[in-house]
Amino acid sequence: MNPLIFTTILMTVLLGTMIVMMSSHWLMIWIGFEMNLLAIIPILMKKYNPRTMEASTKYFLTQATASMLLMMAIIINLMHSGQWTITKVFNPTASIIMTSALAMKLGLTPFHFWVPEVTQGISLTSGLILLTWQKLAPMSILYQISPSINLNILLTMAVLSILVGGWGGLNQTQLRKIMAYSSIAHMGWMTAVLVYNPTLTMLNMLIYIMMTLTMFMLFIHSSSTTMLSLSHTWNKTPLTTTLILITLLSMGGLPPLSGFMPKWMIIQELTKNSSIILPTLMAIMALLNLYFYMRLTYSTSLTMFPSTNNMKMKWQFETKRITLLPPLIVMSSLLLPLTPMLSILD
Amino acid sequence: MMTYIVFILSVIFVVSFVGFSSKPSPIYGGLVLIVSGGVGCGIIMSFGGSFLGLMVFLIYLGGMLVVFGYTTAMATEQYPEVWVSNTTVMGVFLLGLLMEVMLVLYVLKSEEVGVVFKFSGVGDWAIYDTGDSGVFSEEIMGVAALYSYGAWVVIVTGWSLLVGVLVILEVTRGD
Repeated sequence: MNPLIFTTILMTVLLGTMIVMMSSHWLMIWIGFEMNLLAIIPILMKKYNPRTMEASTKYFLTQATASMLLMMAIIINLMHSGQWTITKVFNPTASIIMTSALAMKLGLTPFHFWVPEVTQGISLTSGLILLTWQKLAPMSILYQISPSINLNILLTMAVLSILVGGWGGLNQTQLRKIMAYSSIAHMGWMTAVLVYNPTLTMLNMLIYIMMTLTMFMLFIHSSSTTMLSLSHTWNKTPLTTTLILITLLSMGGLPPLSGFMPKWMIIQELTKNSSIILPTLMAIMALLNLYFYMRLTYSTSLTMFPSTNNMKMKWQFETKRITLLPPLIVMSSLLLPLTPMLSILD
Repeated sequence: MMTYIVFILSVIFVVSFVGFSSKPSPIYGGLVLIVSGGVGCGIIMSFGGSFLGLMVFLIYLGGMLVVFGYTTAMATEQYPEVWVSNTTVMGVFLLGLLMEVMLVLYVLKSEEVGVVFKFSGVGDWAIYDTGDSGVFSEEIMGVAALYSYGAWVVIVTGWSLLVGVLVILEVTRGD
């Protein structure tokens, strides 16, 4: 793609999300979502093969439906409250429709079906943008309407997302699909605590983005899209195997690493609100997530995975430039002692 | 009948939308779009917004749809699809018609025009005070407000249109 046009389109993706996050008029928010969607389609279609086109079409169809539902909720809100500012949504119908629309944008269950298929069909860098940057805009709107969200619907979607994200990722060997299911599960964790304490949603989002960025950078660095290909990294760059181990365990939510912080805070916040069965269920279902991360680490770093002799040497492409990898790795593994600093996120 | 004019027009509106979203050939889609544009203009005019309604006719139908018609005429095929030629198209059209008929029957039975929200016959345009006293209609003032208070909207929509063109060119370019 022409570099100038590519830069323009990428900047429009950024601009779209910025407009969503900083607008106070519902119509501008909708315009921001549409701008974001429109501009990300050619980024998803960077290579012109049928898989990327199919993935872009699926993404466009689901996100356009979600935008339509969002517009309907905005109009119902306008009819019942007579004003366009974002405070909370004044009508239960509008609130439910808006929650469903934003859940479709995020990839929460039962609207999660597009996430693995779209993530699988596009390149690793596009998948990175899809799973991290595209989650910011809907989450910011959920944050802003959080006082008026119907708790039953949101919690059902959250718990089902954690279940589906864990269960669905169990049989996967393609790394992009694994990251997609991990994204579904993390979105479930984020939305579970949204009504109780939205700050923790933001914290979870922050840490999730850092960890996902790290994982994708490591995958891009070793040019691997399958588990098999990742298991050969011990041969090419042995250091990345350790980094993959640490980051994956952090994504699974294991204690001394920073991925434990959001899960811990969320469970604490939920139990403070006298729900005990729910966080127990969520923690148990996070084990499913941990299982396939562990399988990934087993094949990559903990063992020298068996392969035929002629596959042991990976093709030595020229080293890709990886942006910001060391700070990202540090942040995605060592942030746990900084938990008392949560108050700055308020 | 005049009290329900907005309702009747909106039914025709929805039916014509169903007509072109059941995807016949674009030529016939454009035909139905003309009808829906005209009816939409009628809806806006019955709320008192004559300027915006006529702008629909002039800009939308007379500008954009004409260009669309010309480009479709360049890319047309020998046997364009009509609503009755393809089972799928006819099925979708009939399904949409059926749902609209059910909605109309529900509205007529419950004797009030409104399903999720009230369909008020008298609209209200946003009050925009120009500061000076005059007999200006409110919706024309809204258009003027777009270029003064709503400058950010103009910038954003203009940028979206530019990026839309770039995106379409990028997507249809191929290799």
